[in-house]
Amino acid sequence: MSLKDVEVRGRKIEAVLLLAIILASTPLIIGFSLLTLSSFSKHMVTNFDPNSFKFTLINWVRFLEGRMAITGGVRISVINIILNTLIVALGVAFVTTLIGTLAGYAISRMNFRYRKQLLLLLLLLHAFPGSVLIVGVYLIYIVTMPSNPEFIRYYSLFYVVIARAALEVPMAIWLMKGFFDLVPWEIEWAAIVDGASRIKVWWKVMLPLVKPGIAAIMLFGFLAGWQDLIYVRTFLQERTLATFIEANLEAEYSHMPLLAAVATFYLLPTIVFFVTSQKLLLKVTLAGVKR
Amino acid sequence: MVSIKLRNVTKRFGRVVAVDKISLDILDSEFFALLGPSGSGKSTILYLIAGIYKPTSGRIYFDQQDITDLPPKERNIGLVFQNWALYPHMKVYDNIAFPLRLKRLSEDNIYRKVVEVAKMLRINHLLDRYPWQLSGGQQQRVAIARALVKEPLVLLLDEPLSNLDALLRVSVRTELKRLQKSLGITTVYVTHDQAEALAMADRIAVINEGRVLQVGSPEEVYGKPSCRFVGGFLGNPPMNFIEASIERGREGVYLVINMDKVSVPKQYTNILSKLEIDRVVIGFRPEDIVIEKQCSPRDFCLHGEVYAVEPLGREYIVTIAIGEHMVKALTPRGQVFNVGEKVCVCPYSEKTILFDTKTEKSLEQLLVEKHGL
Repeated sequence: MSLKDVEVRGRKIEAVLLLAIILASTPLIIGFSLLTLSSFSKHMVTNFDPNSFKFTLINWVRFLEGRMAITGGVRISVINIILNTLIVALGVAFVTTLIGTLAGYAISRMNFRYRKQLLLLLLLLHAFPGSVLIVGVYLIYIVTMPSNPEFIRYYSLFYVVIARAALEVPMAIWLMKGFFDLVPWEIEWAAIVDGASRIKVWWKVMLPLVKPGIAAIMLFGFLAGWQDLIYVRTFLQERTLATFIEANLEAEYSHMPLLAAVATFYLLPTIVFFVTSQKLLLKVTLAGVKR
Repeated sequence: MVSIKLRNVTKRFGRVVAVDKISLDILDSEFFALLGPSGSGKSTILYLIAGIYKPTSGRIYFDQQDITDLPPKERNIGLVFQNWALYPHMKVYDNIAFPLRLKRLSEDNIYRKVVEVAKMLRINHLLDRYPWQLSGGQQQRVAIARALVKEPLVLLLDEPLSNLDALLRVSVRTELKRLQKSLGITTVYVTHDQAEALAMADRIAVINEGRVLQVGSPEEVYGKPSCRFVGGFLGNPPMNFIEASIERGREGVYLVINMDKVSVPKQYTNILSKLEIDRVVIGFRPEDIVIEKQCSPRDFCLHGEVYAVEPLGREYIVTIAIGEHMVKALTPRGQVFNVGEKVCVCPYSEKTILFDTKTEKSLEQLLVEKHGL
């Protein structure tokens, strides 16, 4: 064996690892490819049978026109559904990021009573899945619901954003605390001596240094809102893509390739985000900071 | 500029006492060094002056004004950290402009001041770069520029040179000293490097275990250490210490070391007569030694054996075993010694310091404390 750098792995190990990764991701890739293919086909593409694929754009056209039934002339406002999904997703992302960065900073950098207990409580909260909590969350919804039915539509949108974000917040706080912990105290002290208040230190000095963390929790928040089914279904009067697909799956006469088009569209943000932000998520460096 | 006064300042972190009832007077426009080993509390004192820490008890004054309860930004200080703590996401210009922007000065005004201070520190060609694009020395200048741009009353430096390489350190040392003198700004400088403190400071406070052991000019703390710790901490190689017992005979007072019996240095005969102690520690610096081949019995000389010889170019460090004590001596190049050779170590008796074995204080100090002189 020849001598090599410590950080270089052997060729054989590299090949084995690569093979394992490919094997593990094969089912996912096949599933997603079939779904995408089906959305461009007259019939569902199944059983790896090339004859079942007949190219057409009709599914996508119908989906974007909102004509979900093949026969009837019923139109649904797909734009509205996408808009609702975006509002929920962006709303959850915004609330999660705001609370995560503020609370993460406070827990990392400020000394107050019950700080440790709070951290443990957050961890505990994260351990509960959203479905377990839904009864309690529903109870609060009923109690706080406005009496005027006109407002309920807006209130449900607001409520679902807050409730869904609450599930993401514990993780976001933990993650941000970790990021803030990495910033040397001296940088913060320097800013305080330079005349900045704590909130200015947070905004002008700390936040720019934890950008990768912010990107991460924003992304997780967005995807959580985009993907959520159970909270949206329970509280929201409007439909989002998730509930829309779910409702159509249950319908008696649903045209599957059309649903495949909706589902492909529904999966797009997840893929796009993970591909584009890969580098950012891996980058946890604080350039120019000596520690 | 201002003078700084600390009165009975104590700082505790939980149960740990970091600073223990310290009182210091730092004069206007003075370059004052806080010197001590790591963990001695010297940086804590600096952060107390800066206002980053609040004293557990005691007061801090700038001139007559009690600033103990003022937040850092109202103290008008410039602070330079050991790791320089530049804002990594800002360019050099924005780093220096940051304190001015917080004061809401106009951009024209900010530009003028930043360029002025950048020129003074010769970093005006770097304003457009990010901190990570700079060398250590340049980053350090930026940190000093950021501290000075506010035109502070006090400049606080926390080991600013320890992240620089050895050669650069010596040249920055000189420049920093000149800068301080030309600005006339009251400066407190924290360091664990005794050479830095001796080279730069007007006065030095030696700190250990949260207490001030001695305050004085570099000559005073080096030449007249008030306790064994100060003598051992300053100088490289540090002061030599040898234990001796005191023998009070009819003809006078003698120090007995192993087989040797030498008369007490003249400056101590009077002091020793006023103190009732029978054991002392003799302290003398490596450069205050003459090594003879033969001992003349009447001189202040001790028998020893050469243990090691280390050539340093300009001079030699000769280590000599005297009984169980090791003594280091600096000798000029001409003298040649062989390992194992029997020699005679003769410290200059007038530069020798005697310390009390129990309290480790110098006998002068002990006398002052005992009689309140």
